[in-house]
Formats: sequence, structure tokens, C-alpha cells
Amino acid sequence: MTKRKAAATKRSVSTATARATTVAPTPPSGGFDLKLLRDLARIANEYDLESIELTPDGGICISRVPAASARMFAAPASSPASLSLVPLGAATIAKAEPVKVADDSVVITSPFVGTFYRASGPDSPVFVEVGQSIRNGQVVCIVEAMKLMNEIEAEADGKLIEILVKNGEHVEYGQPLFRLEKQ
Amino acid sequence: MGIKTVAVHSTADADALHVRRADEKICIGPPPSRQSYNSIPALISAAEVTHADAIHPGYGFLSENAEFADVVQKCGLTWIGPQPSVIRMMGDKVMARNTMAAAGVPILPGTGVLKSDEEAEEAVDRIGLPVIIKAVGGGGGRGMKIVKERKQLSSQLAAARSEAQAGFSNPTVYIERYVDRPRHIEVQVLGDGEHAMALGERECSIQRRHQKLVEEAPSVALDDKIRSELLKVAKKATAALKYKTVGTLEFLLDEKKRFYFMEMNTRIQVEHTVTEEVFGVDLVRTQIELAAGQPLRLRDNLKPRGHSIELRINAEDPDTFAPSPGLITGLRMPGGLGVRIDTHIYQGYRVPSYYDSLLAKLIVHADTRALAINRLRRCLDEFEVEGCKTNVAFYKRLLAHPDFVAGRIDTHFLERM
Repeated sequence: MTKRKAAATKRSVSTATARATTVAPTPPSGGFDLKLLRDLARIANEYDLESIELTPDGGICISRVPAASARMFAAPASSPASLSLVPLGAATIAKAEPVKVADDSVVITSPFVGTFYRASGPDSPVFVEVGQSIRNGQVVCIVEAMKLMNEIEAEADGKLIEILVKNGEHVEYGQPLFRLEKQ
Repeated sequence: MGIKTVAVHSTADADALHVRRADEKICIGPPPSRQSYNSIPALISAAEVTHADAIHPGYGFLSENAEFADVVQKCGLTWIGPQPSVIRMMGDKVMARNTMAAAGVPILPGTGVLKSDEEAEEAVDRIGLPVIIKAVGGGGGRGMKIVKERKQLSSQLAAARSEAQAGFSNPTVYIERYVDRPRHIEVQVLGDGEHAMALGERECSIQRRHQKLVEEAPSVALDDKIRSELLKVAKKATAALKYKTVGTLEFLLDEKKRFYFMEMNTRIQVEHTVTEEVFGVDLVRTQIELAAGQPLRLRDNLKPRGHSIELRINAEDPDTFAPSPGLITGLRMPGGLGVRIDTHIYQGYRVPSYYDSLLAKLIVHADTRALAINRLRRCLDEFEVEGCKTNVAFYKRLLAHPDFVAGRIDTHFLERM
């Protein structure tokens, strides 16, 4: 997994994926700067970088792995020095954020793909606020789909502790909208 | 093409390869198709929130649903397919027969929508046995009953009607002469509303329960004279429909090498790939260009080069054909000259149990059919899937069968194998 590249005008470090290469920069003295190498590799890993290039004139050039492929290639089990990648997630509309659900909290998810609204109209009061007690069957928001305003009801009792989407945001099926603390 | 894509998916397909590769993705519903892939409101809503300009319906699901095509167009989106009126017309199998007959396309002796059992009896007198009873609203091999003896007619009619009602919410049926050992020959057609063209034929005779398994281009059953006549007829029919984008006309070839129109598929097909290989034409790209209103630009005298064969690699037991979903823990696929694999699977992918068992299309191209078969055999040896069963072993047996190698095939081949 660690290869030394032939002499080049640039010194570069690449992240470990299936194409892992880490090149030891060659300082003028001819020895290894191992600390620099470790720091560069850590930075590359932390920010999911495909490569860091240090140019001879002292500049730095970085490039990033596209999120989709970063998530796909699991580090091969047979390669002990492999670094694990932290997927940063693609910037998509209505991406469902994985929400950690504590034992006593419940998440209300969207049953449609559409647009989320906190009130029935621009001048109307919002249906619910953080801190409010919510009852099973109570309307908590609207998801508009194809010009139809669908009222979304809570399916449990609880205290609203978090609103997970913004007013007017597009939501997909199954996207978490509210977090309730069970009472 | 510089066009951004949005992949719609159910929760079961969140990790599908095309979802990862698309520019954007949006979850439209739970696994059952009725609430996701077949849900017109969910699909239109997804198009709205992502500000899509067009919808590509693929194949299966709502790809031949005229109502969906209508809604898409009414919502100001481009439908990547033919006009809804043509989809509707070809979706009614009796209307399709009549339309094609009027356009000079040979059809099997048969009836219109049967209004009574007496009419069925008269038809059998006229056409002769055996006959096949088909659902007017059916297609794709579903809702068909064969009558070999007169005394079966009445019970088979009743069975066909109730299956048609259950399967297509339309109990009407019609009758056609039944061809005993037909070959399934289909023609790829294209049109821009004014001009039409026929881009060669494919043979899809190797089927199991009317599901195609092996498709090839060109067909070794046709000589130049028959091929020329077939393509001419298909082009004429497509032009008569003022057809837009791509489609396929399916024919039966009987033992005397006469061809008869069966049905028209008003969408891109799974096996469009083998036509792409022998003609070097990107059919999906062309389909999108035609939907965008561009004129048909392909030269009329394109000739196919070599031979291409596609195998549908399914997640199923190679002996019982029972579906075999599961987590793909190992995957190694062949490559090299003349080898193409269209697939959505990858190592670590979990094949869901909700949908079709197709895992990959293994497509080869070579100078001759014999060379293509050799290449395919090598590919099958190199196609390794761990975690779910596949029908690779079944194809190895098929490609070793002397009749298959000799091209002596028909739609009942697998029943006899």
C-alpha cells in the first residue's frame, strides 16, 4: 500500500482507497520527513482528500474523492495499513440525514416526497414549536405534494425536542421531520 | 450529454448503484411498487421538487402507462417516450393488431374482442386448431391460454377471462392462430414523428415462461430477403404511427419462415444492448435526443457488423430458477474486447427481494455467432458471484447444447432442454 514514486517535480500524498499511494517527500538532505508524512496522511484522511500535492515553489494543491465512490469501496480486509474513510455525503436535495434516536425519543418521518411547511399558510401560525407537548393524531406540519397540502399527524405522544427540517425545504419519503421525547 | 440526472428510488433501493451515481437522488416511497415506482403522485412530486425537465420511465413499471405519460406532459415535463395516444393504442392488443393490419403488417388469423363464446366457436372453425386465447389488456406473455382440442375451448375461455380480469382489470379476450414452434423475432424501430427507421432485428427465442433469457442480433433464422421484407414492413408501420422516440415490434416466425406481428413495445427494451453492439448506435442517447425534439439523423442504410449475444444473469437457483436475493459478498466480472456488462450490482450490495431478479446483462460482440458463443463461454467461466445464486451454471449448459450452437431454436426450446 505504500509506494515510492519515481522522482518528480511535485511531492504528493494520496488517501488510502483502493488506489492508495503514499509518497515520501524527499527533503534536500535525502532523508525521510516521517512526521510531515504522517501529518499529511492524517489531513488527507480527515478531509477525505484524494491527493495533496506540494509544489516545488511551496504551493499546495488538494483534490477530493467524489463522495459516492468514497462510500462504495470498503477498505479490503487483507490490507492492514488501510485507512478508513469518513464519507462526507453528497450535496443532494432532500438527503435523509441519519438521526441517532435515543431510547426514549421518537422520530416523525415524511410519508410523501414534497415540500415541508410549518404552517398552513404564510401568514398562519406554525402548527408546533419546540418544547410543546404533542398528542397522537395532532397535526404537526404540512407536506405539499403536487399542489395538495397534506397535513401530517403525529403518531405518538411526546414533547417536541427538535425540528429537523427548515420551512419550505424539499423532503423525500422517509425523511425525519421532528424528534419527540416520549412522555 | 451534459444532462443532470435525478435517481428516484424506494427505501429498498437506497444503495443501488444508479442512485449513487446520479447527480441527485430522492426517495419516493416504501418498497412496494404501488407506493413508489408505480405511484404517479410520488413520481410527479419528485420531479417537481427536483425541478426536473423530463422523465425517463425506463422499462417495466409505468413505462407503457399512457395515463402516466399524459400526466407527465400535462405537468409541463418532457416524456421520454412516444405519444400517449400511441402507447394507449399499442397497449390494447386488439387495436394494435387492427392498426398494424391496416398498415400492411402481416398478422396471424384471429378475431377482434370476443363478445361471446359463440363467436369463439366460429373463430375456431375459421382459423383451425390449435388457437391461443389472449387478454386484450395483457402482453408480455401473461394471460394466455392454448386450446388444442375443441372440447377445451369453453373452459379455457373462462379461465382466460378470469385471469385477465385479475391481472389487467380487463376481462376481454381475443383469439389467434397458435404457431407451434415459433421463433421470436423483434425489430428495433425509431422515429421523430415524421421519419421512421428500422434498426435491424433481434432474436429472443430462448425464454422461460415468456421471460426472455437470451437475446441476439442479428437472427440466424433470417436470410437477406426475409430480413429486408421484415424491416421494410416494420419501418412502414412505425411511420404510419408517426411514432416518436424508440420502440420494438415483436413478431413470430413460423416454421415456413413467415412472420406475423405480435405486439409493439412502446419503450426501450432490456435487450436494446445487442442492437447497440452490432450497429454502434447509442439507443438511449438517441431516444433522449428524439424526445427533445431533434430529428432522426441516423443513416438509412446502416448495416450491422458481426454478432452480439446478451445473457440475463439473474439472482436465481440455476436448476429450480427460484429467486435468490442476498448480500453480494464477492463479485468478479469478465472483461476484454467485445465484452460489455450492464449492471447495478457491486460487492457489498444487498439484492432486495421486492423486485426483478435481474443482476446483470452480460453482452458479447464478435465477428460471428460461433465466436460470440465462445467468448460468452469464457465470460461465464469468469463471472463469479458470492452471496446469492445465479443462473450462470444454467447458461453454461445452454451454450453447450448442440441445437443452440447450431441456431436451431424456438420459443419452446427450454421446455425441451
